[in-house]
Amino acid sequence: MKYEVLLGNQAIALGLVEQGCRVVTSYPGTPSSEILAGVVKFQQRLGRDVYTEWSINEKVAFETALACSWSGLRSAVAMKQVGLNVASDPLFSAAYTGVRAGLVVIPADDPGPFSSQTEQDSRLTALTAKVPVFDPSSPLEARAMIRHAFELSERFRMPVMVRPTTRLCHACQAMSLDGDGLAEHSGDGVQFLKDPSRWAATPRLRYRLHVELSDKLRQVETAFAESSLNAVLDGDVLGKVGVIASGVAFHTAREALRELGVAVPALKIGTPYPLPQQLVRNFVAAHHTVVVLEEPDACIELQLPDRSQVHGRLDGTVPAAGELAPEVISEVLAHVLTAAGYEINRSAENPELQAFVSGLSLPVRAPRLCPGCPHRSAFFALKREFGAKTIFPSDIGCYTLGVNMGAVDTCVDMGASVSMASGFYLANRLGGNTQPIVATIGDSTFLHSGIAPLLNAVHTGARFVLVILDNQTTAMTGFQPTPASGTLADGSPAARQVGIAGIVRGCGVAFVEPADPYDHSHFRGVLRRAYQHSQAPEGGVAVVIAERPCTLHDAQLLRQNPLPVAIAETCDGCRYCLEAFGCPALVLRTDGSRVDIEPNLCVACGQCISVCPKGSIVAQTADS
Amino acid sequence: MNELQTTSLRPSEAKVIIAGIGGQGVIFITRVLAQTAATLGLPAIVSEVHGMSQRGGSVNSHLKIGVGEAPLIRSGTADLLFALDELEGLRNLPFLRRGGTLLVNAEPGLPFETVAHLAHLEIAVLSVPATHIATELGAPGVANVVLMGFLAAHSLLPLPFDAVREALAIAAPHQRELNLQAVEAGRRAAWFLQGRRLRWT
Repeated sequence: MKYEVLLGNQAIALGLVEQGCRVVTSYPGTPSSEILAGVVKFQQRLGRDVYTEWSINEKVAFETALACSWSGLRSAVAMKQVGLNVASDPLFSAAYTGVRAGLVVIPADDPGPFSSQTEQDSRLTALTAKVPVFDPSSPLEARAMIRHAFELSERFRMPVMVRPTTRLCHACQAMSLDGDGLAEHSGDGVQFLKDPSRWAATPRLRYRLHVELSDKLRQVETAFAESSLNAVLDGDVLGKVGVIASGVAFHTAREALRELGVAVPALKIGTPYPLPQQLVRNFVAAHHTVVVLEEPDACIELQLPDRSQVHGRLDGTVPAAGELAPEVISEVLAHVLTAAGYEINRSAENPELQAFVSGLSLPVRAPRLCPGCPHRSAFFALKREFGAKTIFPSDIGCYTLGVNMGAVDTCVDMGASVSMASGFYLANRLGGNTQPIVATIGDSTFLHSGIAPLLNAVHTGARFVLVILDNQTTAMTGFQPTPASGTLADGSPAARQVGIAGIVRGCGVAFVEPADPYDHSHFRGVLRRAYQHSQAPEGGVAVVIAERPCTLHDAQLLRQNPLPVAIAETCDGCRYCLEAFGCPALVLRTDGSRVDIEPNLCVACGQCISVCPKGSIVAQTADS
Repeated sequence: MNELQTTSLRPSEAKVIIAGIGGQGVIFITRVLAQTAATLGLPAIVSEVHGMSQRGGSVNSHLKIGVGEAPLIRSGTADLLFALDELEGLRNLPFLRRGGTLLVNAEPGLPFETVAHLAHLEIAVLSVPATHIATELGAPGVANVVLMGFLAAHSLLPLPFDAVREALAIAAPHQRELNLQAVEAGRRAAWFLQGRRLRWT
């Protein structure tokens, strides 16, 4: 049997394909983005017919999958945890109505956080929505849990959640592509069967569906109590300390206990909601002290009615924020075990090495916009044209890094740049201020949830400039297509390519002008006219579409017209280009005397030439 | 058979940190080593960094062979730190256990005082001018593969050179020949340093 190393997200994708899932929809977002790409890959390799879709947003993705489930097709929807907020409206409703064929919801949580605005716990969303949850601890287990999830979903006719976290999504493990047989799913019986009392239930009927849902959850809890996914592993039963853990934290805790040289029992919870209460209560009763280790928040701990012996996130034993890294778990366990009288082994610590490295004061290498990034050129022009007195609401994407250039003042959630700009306009008007407002949003983010707030801004007469940074892809998450890029998830051509300018005009915006941010003076001229329109008596919202493909995704344009640069002798190391432009290819000499171009990083975009106020960045000539 | 005799680790267990900056091929090296382990039937788990941190920032991967399913390595417990960049090598040093090894792409190498201090803290340092060697091959971008060839030749991991070479050949078919040249160049560098008795500086 051949073993392949698969990413956690690919293991989930493989699980979906081999379980006969017919429809998978998603909106890209770290750490979930590789799930749909994995489905595309494995359905081809295993010869399965699975429809894949990068939907316009998570709500649309959820509802598309829901309709397919109601029509008898096994379906799944994947997103990052904050994407579940966008899809929470249909999630809560679908918990009541239930499903027909299996529907598996896969929100990827981000303890840390590494790439998100919150550390929210999707298991708690599931608890509020009354949807059962599986909490896999490894890529291998995630793959296996997809089968359990579909079976549970079809047994109780309810949506079911499988909740991975960043460290699982981006962990790799070897597995065989030949699983325990492919689940067959024919196209027979695929049809929506009308039942208005369920699928179109009115509030009176919703009450009955809620009663039914609560009854289902009691039965699910009984099923979970008997599941092998919840089991006590390891340890001599000494009755002093017990560990309850779920997800990746379970394996981390197990390893930490081994390193600390202590064997105490660990209860692994694979199904945190609804929590198999009796099982957990028996475990707690058998120990003097119990520690709960779970991410990113307290879901198991919260469901325990009696926490007098229980320690975790809620009583401060486990830090209230941040991921449960091995160092954190080790520290928590060492503290609890020492207090309970255990002798622990701390030989693995190497404090002198820590101290040595701290003493080196190594410079931080923060993420930056790539060399040649069109967003950098756009932000540089925005700053020059409008200055620091302007409010710059922005959004979610690579361009959030514009905060380093002072061109991003706010970042709330997908699409918020447009509504925040409207709100700031309102606040300015009410407060008698005339501060300019210039918002930025990416193309994919605009299509995801920028259209409705733009319509609202036009309708209410807000006045601001909106710059749509159109790099023709969803760059941050790995170049997924958008409705404007003309391809579908599997690479085939889209039914129709949608133009952003047409959508903006359709929202009633009178000033819509595309411009290339690489053409600095023209781009600034367009920004100026846009601002004038936003201030004119008959004006309103003005939209500039900064059109230039992402340099990483499509370097064709750049290769056609390279503009290599050199630093002239006049450079005096004033650092202006480093601070105002911040291209990684501009590097200050260690003695601070001048700036050099790092040849391995420079992409010859020539964008830095107009940056230097002293004209020391010049186009490279044959002899320079 | 072609492996150099070095300090042996446990025969089938290892914890490795692979460090560098976004774009240097940290994930590629990690996946090749993990695939090598998988082909040999050794259980392995890897933790990678994706998303925002990829855009030119510091990145590291964790590779654990034969030691459980927790994806992350606790600081102070790694056997080997494989660093594609000097600064990232230093930054990730706290991951190493006493007796661990730093294998770093550096030219001319870490400063003598640093190496001496690390020796005092029971950390061995092995500097290899991998970017220099890769540039001689006409492709500075394969410095990661050169360093991996060096690593495999030294059998610092329970992964024989030939098995690593095999996994590498399959991993990136589009630049198979170049990668194989690079991994061989890394092995030659290892033999050269062995001959010069410069292994454990």
